[in-house]
Parts: sequence; structure tokens; C-alpha cells
Amino acid sequence: MTTPAIAFKHMPPPLFTDPYADAWTAPFWEATKREQLTAPRCKNCGAFRLPPSRWCAHCRTQEIEYVDLPGTGTLYSFIVVRHPLSPDAADYVPYIPAVVDADGAPGARFLSNMVDIEPEDVQIGMPLRVVWNHVSATLTLPFWTRA
Amino acid sequence: MALRWQALAGYRLPKRGMHVTMKDKAAIVGIGQTERYRRGASLPKSMMDMAIEATLLALKDAALTVEDLDGFAFYGGAPADPGAMAYLMGVPHVKFAATLTAGGSGAAGSVGMAAAVINAGLANVCVSLFVLQQVPTGRFGGSSEGPRQIPAARGGGAYGGGGNVSPEAAFTAPAGVISPGHNFSMLAQRHMYQYGTKREHFAEVCISQRNNAMKRPQSMRQTPLTLEDYFAARMISDPLCLFDYTMECDGAIAVITTSTERARDLPHTPVLISGSGIGGTGDNAHLLGNFQMPDISFASAGARDVAKQMYAMAEVGPQDVDVALLYDHFSPMVLMQLEDFQFCPIGESGPFVAEGNIRFGTGSIPVNTHGGNLSDFYCPGMTHLVEGVEQLRGTAINQVEGAEIALCTGGPSSIPMTGTILKKDR
Repeated sequence: MTTPAIAFKHMPPPLFTDPYADAWTAPFWEATKREQLTAPRCKNCGAFRLPPSRWCAHCRTQEIEYVDLPGTGTLYSFIVVRHPLSPDAADYVPYIPAVVDADGAPGARFLSNMVDIEPEDVQIGMPLRVVWNHVSATLTLPFWTRA
Repeated sequence: MALRWQALAGYRLPKRGMHVTMKDKAAIVGIGQTERYRRGASLPKSMMDMAIEATLLALKDAALTVEDLDGFAFYGGAPADPGAMAYLMGVPHVKFAATLTAGGSGAAGSVGMAAAVINAGLANVCVSLFVLQQVPTGRFGGSSEGPRQIPAARGGGAYGGGGNVSPEAAFTAPAGVISPGHNFSMLAQRHMYQYGTKREHFAEVCISQRNNAMKRPQSMRQTPLTLEDYFAARMISDPLCLFDYTMECDGAIAVITTSTERARDLPHTPVLISGSGIGGTGDNAHLLGNFQMPDISFASAGARDVAKQMYAMAEVGPQDVDVALLYDHFSPMVLMQLEDFQFCPIGESGPFVAEGNIRFGTGSIPVNTHGGNLSDFYCPGMTHLVEGVEQLRGTAINQVEGAEIALCTGGPSSIPMTGTILKKDR
């Protein structure tokens, strides 16, 4: 396979080219192609959950609906991976995995990455906005950067 | 009659309406360890070679035989198959075999399971063990995915559900959080933000434990560690540096548990299993994984429930614990366990260690007197059990004077998190 271009500063090693979606997760990935962030919400009790697990832990029902989010959020925690765990990852360190509280989806967090920012400028609590990494025809990944 | 008495030892029928507990009814009576190897250096021995060697040594230490052994109470799969062990060792009667789920989190709970099994009359003599051989094809705690390997190696794809990658995993795995160290760094960073914890506090855990290891000839790390050394080390997953990570080793360690009544006829001072907690809360179940834990317990070891259950069973509290052997795969998790196991209030573990509280000889609660995973030897949690036993037998090298109660814990990770209170027999 070809080496994907490094589209963003400090983006993570490209681990996936496909979301391996099923009926449960496909709406999320379809929306990402339009650069629309969504999150699954329980159809019965309204609780958000990520990843889109098969059961709601609050009301023990299964049905979900995907809700459009504004694409903004707050940084909850992050790390800076400086040591590459394989030779392939050497070109990508440092990268910045991040846990993000997305606006409009209380109680559910995205595990994603901070990009286009220097590690020393990243701070928990900072406001963020989503940016989009078009990896392949089927996979568009949300990243986050300073709002 | 003696034989019949032995067969019934430790087993009592619960009476209607009475509180049933396994407190103090089983004891650790034997410990066995193979040679200690650096990572990958145990070849050409096999993992099974080492698992059996450690088990035979532990039985010998207990003055018991393979014919006495009838139970296998493992955690994380050991990883050794009880059936294969029984076949290879010639165990005549296996009456129990099970492993706690998850990984190193079950270390302390494995002897709790043994105590429960013995108290229930299922088996009489149980072995708990772990064996490691850290070769590239099978590293415990290694990284989950190498970059770019997944699509090529696993196939699958576009909207058919893919290979071995679950649709749910696609929401978390692309972030590149691919090793336990990455996961725990995320918790550590949040702890620093919420409570003002500093890297100096992580360093204190590492330095305190290194000092303990340096007094023990068998410990793998013998060179002094200073604050300057700590801050000069390379960052692995910021905020964690090299010294915050456990080392990796090869070897096996086993412990033998039997009923307290039988233990009192054996050579060593029985080390009673006084209380054990094996579990956690559902909302904290993804400590390793997708980071959906509630704000109140995100930066924790996920052990608060387990601590309460364990202390209640043992009818003791943190103030009664003489030595704390806290699983230390990553130094910040020692801090979070000091909070979860109630040695200090939530969020105050940083200042607590900065005041010298965990130091051997001078601190209020000596922690990891053997040096722990970080500086003694890495056999996911088994050294903590062995040190607990030695402290209560009175044979530890860094002996806590008059030690009567030891706390052992498993490594914070997925459910079940475990903790066990060990107590010196009267």
C-alpha cells in the first residue's frame, strides 16, 4: 500500500484506511464524508454514548439515532507519544492522542488526536474545533485543533 | 480419622441466618520462584518449564507435594493451561481450575479466589502463578497494533464489518493509543490537571522503590536513581518518562494456598487471606480503552469499590495496614491507588508522597518494599504477593518491624481490579 501523505502536523501514524463499519456505525462515517460530526444518542432515554455500543447502559435498550454536532468541544485529557512503538511510527512522533468532550453530546467523549498545534501549547480545558482527515474513499477521520 | 479431618479442613457449612465469610479461613503457605531473567533471556526454557518449576518450588516451600495439589486459581490466564500442567506434573485429582478475567489486575485477587474455593470445599490446595517470557511474538502488555499493519494483514473493509477490527474499535483505535502506557498516561495527565500532581510526585514513587530494590541482591535494578536522572530520562508518552514504566522480565512465580487449619501444621507462619475484593464498577470498566469513565473516577485506579469490599471483609482499615504492595506498572497508578485504597484523600496523593509517607523505614505507610515492578522484578503482581508473604513471615530484606497486615493489589486495568489483605497468623 502507498504511504499516506502527512496531511496535518503531528497527526498519528495511519493505522486504518477503512472504518470497518456495520449498520450500527455507518451513519457516523457517512456523515464524516460531508465533514459533519455526529454522535449516537439513545432513542429511548436520550443518553449519548461513544463508541456506539450495542446497549444503552442507562436504560438497557438498543436503538440509537445519530445527532449532528457543532464540531466544537473541550480538551479533557491528552498525551504526547514521543517514543515510536514501531519503526513505521518514527516519522509520526510526536503525536498527540486526545480525549475530547464534544459540544452537544454530554456524557460521551471522543478519543481522537490534536493536530496542527505544538505539544507544549496543548492544555486541558482548551476550546477545540474539529478538522477532517480524508484518508480514503471510505474513511474520513475527525481530528481536533485549537478553536 | 486424621485423613478425614484433613479433607474437611477449612470447610464449614454455613448456618441459616449467619454472616458467611471467608475471612482468615485460608492462608498462603508456600512461595516459589524461578531464576530471574532479563526480557527474552529465558529461552530455550519454555513458559511451561518455568510455570512448573515455580509450582514445584512453591509446593516444596510449603512442605506439600504434587499429590496434595488439587486447585488452580489463576489470573490473566497465567498464561499457562492448568490441564497441561496437571498432565505434565502428574496431578492425580484436579478439583478446581479457573482464571480471573482481564490481566495483571487479577494478581492479588487470584489468592482471594483460592481462598473462596478452599472455603467452599471445592479444592484443598491451590496454586496461583504467573509466567512471563517477553519474546517479540508474545509480549504481555505490549502494543496492540503496529502502524499500517491492520488493513493489509486483516483484510475486511468497506461497510461489511472488517477482519478482526470491530466496528466499535474504529472509533478509538485510529488515535494511536496502542499500549498500556499510552492509556495510563491519559489518566495521569488528567490527575495532574485536576489535582495539581507533578512529575516530581511520579519520581518519588520511582526513587523510593529504587532505594528499596538496591538493598536486595535479587532485584534487577541496582543503580541509584536520582531526581536528576529521572528528569534526564527520555519521555515515552508524555507525561510519562522511561522510569515511570515497569521493566520487562522473564520468569515464573507461584504461591500455594490452603485452609488455615491445615496451614497451621505446615512449617511456615501461615499468611492469612483476611479479605479480598475482585471487581469494580461498570462505569469504570473501560479504564483501558475508550475513556468514558465519569469525571469523578477518570483519574483513579478504578479500585474504590474493591477497596471497600476488601476492608469490610477483613474488618480492618487503611490505618491498620503495615505495608502496602501496590501494583506498579506505571508510577502514577501507585498514586491513584494510595487514594483508592484510602491512605490519603482523593487527589492528595502527590503531596502525600512528597512528604515521604511511602518510604521504607521512615514513612507512615511503606510502599513496595521490594522495589515493585519498577525496580525489583516484573512478574505482573506476583512479586507483590511474595513480598507480602515475606513481610508477614518476618523474612523480608526490607522488613517492616512488627508487620502484621499487608495489602496487595493487582494492576489497575480492566475489570476485575483486585486487592487482598494478608494477615500474620496469631
